[in-house]
Amino acid sequence: MDVVFGSFPFMIDHLGLLLSSTGDHLVISLIPLLAAIVTGVPIGVWLGHAHRGEFLAVSVTNIGRALPSLALIAILIGFVGIGTLNAVIALFLLAFPPILSYSFQAVDSIDRDLTRAARGMGMSPLQVLLKVELPLGLPMIIAGIRTSAVLTVSSATIATIAGSGGLGDVILNQVAYGMEGVIAGAIWVAVLAILIDQAFALLLRISAPAGVKRLQSANAA
Amino acid sequence: MTQHSTGTSITFDRATKTYPGAAVPALDALDLEVEAGELVCLVGPSGGGKTTALQLVNRLVDLTSGDIRIGDRSITDQSAIALRRTIGYAIQQSGLFPHYTVADNIATVPVVLGWDKARIRTRTAELLELVGLSPVETWLPRYPAQLSGGQQQRVGIARALAADPPVMLMDEPFGALDPITRVAVQDEFLAIHRAVGKTTLFVTHDIDEAIKMADRIAILKPGGKLAQFDTPANVLSDPADDFVAEFLGAERGLKRLALTTVGEIVTAGTTGAKAATTDGARPSTTGWPDVEATMTLREALSVVSAARADGAIVHSDGSRLGEVSLHDLIAPPAAGEDREGVRA
Repeated sequence: MDVVFGSFPFMIDHLGLLLSSTGDHLVISLIPLLAAIVTGVPIGVWLGHAHRGEFLAVSVTNIGRALPSLALIAILIGFVGIGTLNAVIALFLLAFPPILSYSFQAVDSIDRDLTRAARGMGMSPLQVLLKVELPLGLPMIIAGIRTSAVLTVSSATIATIAGSGGLGDVILNQVAYGMEGVIAGAIWVAVLAILIDQAFALLLRISAPAGVKRLQSANAA
Repeated sequence: MTQHSTGTSITFDRATKTYPGAAVPALDALDLEVEAGELVCLVGPSGGGKTTALQLVNRLVDLTSGDIRIGDRSITDQSAIALRRTIGYAIQQSGLFPHYTVADNIATVPVVLGWDKARIRTRTAELLELVGLSPVETWLPRYPAQLSGGQQQRVGIARALAADPPVMLMDEPFGALDPITRVAVQDEFLAIHRAVGKTTLFVTHDIDEAIKMADRIAILKPGGKLAQFDTPANVLSDPADDFVAEFLGAERGLKRLALTTVGEIVTAGTTGAKAATTDGARPSTTGWPDVEATMTLREALSVVSAARADGAIVHSDGSRLGEVSLHDLIAPPAAGEDREGVRA
């Protein structure tokens, strides 16, 4: 326990180090996360809208789950060498599958009667997407992003072996920072992951239309 | 006759649909002429192609061959999206958007048509009144989950009527309702139908619902072939073939009694009780139960049977209209044949 408590003075003493590492950490986790969002959400939503590519969405997810991030970074060293790019690619490959599969499921699983009614009343495919599928799928799409966000922020720790900095530098360097430093870094990563997760939860609360929020709370009750 | 002013005819002209990979057509060269303002029920067993027939009209399903015309215009003359905006569409479980309020659900088509807000508000309120959800202010902000099944279905009907389409397609709209609610919503829909006069194609698997609702019934049999297309009375009294007779069931004779109300045979003066008076041998009516003039012969027969009586006293608005004997009930002269006149 002493080491845990000892980590708090460490945080105060090394605030500058932790802050700059946090900055690096956020860069190497948020870049791949954002890249996974801007690619995974549209592809997943489109496949779900077309009710096609379930095989693709599921396979990508399973492959993504099976890939150990450490191995991924090691393999990528062979292709892109050491550095931030390596970590960013590895973390993107990690973040992409949950976002893709959640987005696919979010839209694909919407009651077909609803989309049939929407089309039958003369909504264009885009209107069906924007007025029915996206609002109803939004909570699940965001759930996928939250899963990926937590995964990316926590996995970014081992990106340090690719030499890309971040809080992993502190955690994996017990020689320089001692056990207090390791624990301090770990606590910061955990807090960071929770904050990112909650930030996206907040995003859902802000962005969801009133009716979707109602459904959310009704489902939770 | 009837004031069906806003409806437009629907003509199926050898309409055929074969789904990809299917050996036999789902709908096989259907010829059907639904007159303006008419309510036609499509009935038949699963695999008879009734839902296919319906979805061909608003092009949720594309024709393999043949044509369908609304008025004089082929449905392929305009884009599927433009076509659908001129057709009311109501489905089972109402298909209401759960994340939309009642107001927003009803406004779906007006919004995509680009109506201004004031017009949409007026129209929405008008429709809620029409389907019996008033005062409208209490219903507008509610969400579908806050409504009962019957209320949801009423909103579904209001939504289908929103842009005042000349044609309505209804796909088992009341299929998920409990029997009591279903009867209430059927009655309301019939009243609305008479008031607004939309040409309506109504898919149901429930033959009793079809007998109650339809001006004419189209019975489809497996393989998507039209077995019979006629008024409920004619279908019941004169089934076209064994398939239709079997589909109508052994109670076909009783179902036919559901087409006429006791009020109709009493006011038509064709009841045997009157004939009996001319013989001077008026039967005793002691112990006869009371029935309302609006009851069908079938319902009245049930009341008489339960009371173990030989007839019933008919009341209308609290006053005695006359009496019907058991014989009048089970063998009415030309049951249902003046139904068109009654409807008018």
